[in-house]
Amino acid sequence: MNRLLMVTSSGWKKEIKVSNDPKTDEKKTAFNLTHQAIEAESMLRRIKDDFPDNPESMNYFYDLYQQVYCEGRSVYDKEKIVGTMCVQVPEELIYAAGGVPVRLCSGFYTDDQHGAEFMPAKSCSLVKATLGMLSNKSTLPFINKVKTVVSPTTCDQKRKAGAIIEEMGYDVYNMELPPLKESEEARLYWQRSIHKFSVSLKEITGNKITKDSLKKAIGKTAAAQKAYRKLHNLRKETPPVLLGKDVFMITNAYFFDKIENWTAAVNKLNEELEQRKEEKFSAAQRRAPRILFTGSPAIFPNLKLPVLIEESGGVIVADENCSSNRMLYDMITVDEWNMSNMVDGIADNYLKPCTCPIFTNNDDRKRKLINMSQEFAVDGVVYQTFSGCQVYSMEQSSITKVLRDEGIPVLLVESDYSPDDMGQLSTRVEAFIESLKAKKRRK
Amino acid sequence: MNYFAGVDIGSTAIKIVLIDDTKNIISSKVTPTGSQFRKNAVDALHAMLADCNLAFDELAYVISTGYGRKLLKEADESVSEITANAIGAMEAGREHGVINTIINIGGQDTKAIQIDESGTVTNFAMNEKCAAGTGKFLDVTARNLEIELEELGDYHLNLKTAPLPINSTCVVFAESEIIGLLADGHGKEEIVAGIHYSIAKRTIRLAKRVGLEGLVYFDGGPALNKGLVASMEDELGKKIVIPDFPQITTALGASVLAYEAYLDEMESA
Repeated sequence: MNRLLMVTSSGWKKEIKVSNDPKTDEKKTAFNLTHQAIEAESMLRRIKDDFPDNPESMNYFYDLYQQVYCEGRSVYDKEKIVGTMCVQVPEELIYAAGGVPVRLCSGFYTDDQHGAEFMPAKSCSLVKATLGMLSNKSTLPFINKVKTVVSPTTCDQKRKAGAIIEEMGYDVYNMELPPLKESEEARLYWQRSIHKFSVSLKEITGNKITKDSLKKAIGKTAAAQKAYRKLHNLRKETPPVLLGKDVFMITNAYFFDKIENWTAAVNKLNEELEQRKEEKFSAAQRRAPRILFTGSPAIFPNLKLPVLIEESGGVIVADENCSSNRMLYDMITVDEWNMSNMVDGIADNYLKPCTCPIFTNNDDRKRKLINMSQEFAVDGVVYQTFSGCQVYSMEQSSITKVLRDEGIPVLLVESDYSPDDMGQLSTRVEAFIESLKAKKRRK
Repeated sequence: MNYFAGVDIGSTAIKIVLIDDTKNIISSKVTPTGSQFRKNAVDALHAMLADCNLAFDELAYVISTGYGRKLLKEADESVSEITANAIGAMEAGREHGVINTIINIGGQDTKAIQIDESGTVTNFAMNEKCAAGTGKFLDVTARNLEIELEELGDYHLNLKTAPLPINSTCVVFAESEIIGLLADGHGKEEIVAGIHYSIAKRTIRLAKRVGLEGLVYFDGGPALNKGLVASMEDELGKKIVIPDFPQITTALGASVLAYEAYLDEMESA
């Protein structure tokens, strides 16, 4: 084996190993010894073991995380996986073209550290982690199979990340998204973008979308959404029937699980929760402050903030997150079941209800948060922004103002994927929960 | 007579306050946290009780708070230092009026807390991650200038010229900036005052996030530093309430909460 010294652009000397015989030089680390698996294992254990009374039916999800993230065994075999970078990629079209969408947004700190190589220092953990995950082909089991990555042109960091992903050797499909959503121009622009994508998918999966395959695909996601909505509505119950940390585990599993299995597992859980509801079973302390979680998405294993909230005696009863509610709540409406109408219906569903802060005007998000606070009898809102996520940080003050004007207390938390602020965060979260309890007591 | 203790285990010091059932302070103690902070906290509590001729089981209720709150198994329960600070400030500040905003500078963090007339926290802000502008910063400054931490206030008040602008907020970089300023022949007074104004500016900016209406109360170890207090008042443009013992407010709050928890328990029993 030869060694070469290379001076990189930043001036650091980097030693490069040049192997003459890759077979003897390579060392493949067992998946359960990777940093990802260690991270996943530790969060999974915390979620399972630190809380009493997890529903029986949650075991399906815990086992799924164990399999995929701790042992590195994918749920897929020969399926044509299409990677997606964002909640705005229409899954129905991918399913209709015979592919399987897998959402690539990573929540791993290890990936975040790897991804830092490609991005400026003060950038978003989620985007960095996604790059880190894609750059390291041995890490996550479904990554090896991803050839194409669909990147909607949303925030600056994701858009520019698309180009870096292309340099890594993936095929990147940039799906053009308008910066506003209310205007008719934006709607037409987006519809054209979606139509173009539906045609281009033939090159990605090798299959043409037909009227029947699309109708079937819409039915498939609708069944999943129906199951989710049921779960969503069950969370309105007092006392609460389920902890929010489990809901994040469920919605997050939708990123990478087989959709039919996922839907069946959620339906099964819903039955168990109905039972809990009848028995007046409480998943948290009866007077636990009810929290609405919003802002930068909670993605496994970076669930430190949701878990802290519930360890401190709060219960997350609702969320406004693109890794959860925003991904599954809104259903497609189709006027007539012909090709053009179905694609338009899909396009509208992925634009109009979206409350992502990348849109120039976003009063929808304010209205949605206020409505949800009332519907779910919320005592306080926790607003997470990842350091470097400009859009969520910039929307913070106006969102906070409207919520506080409605008398809803808000805790702002700026954090990232690194676990080193846990001590400090726990003080803030506990103080917030204590203040909500004090407020409730005086009512 | 029943006794109640609040134990505040901070990053730098352990503070203990003992009150009786008229909420009178019987005794208080400040001791370094050290590495074995659980042992140090228990030892300090026992030493304090011995001074007062009290046995441990004469304590009706103990509440722990601060970074080490969850590890003190001797406590009946723990509360976050923000809640404890709010109650303590309301009690300690009562003679000055109704406190609206609390600014607390600790060993490793800075907090601004807004409270209502009942001492309930209505809003708060805390420095993220970085410990810039906290007690640690003052500690490092004093060490660099080879003066005692307690002398910083006097150096500040002896200032004859204008304070120097200090640009680094990072403790590590500030250290080299200070060395540079000393090498350029600047006096210790100018540097100390510069540090104080830079901390004050940063702290008031944080406090503005929760609002600065009404009476502002400043506590934590650094509130003992008269130079820093003067700079904070200059930055804020008004007088600040400083309690007689700024280090023990949070422990006092915890002891008052212990007293209230005991009353609740008796009522429901």
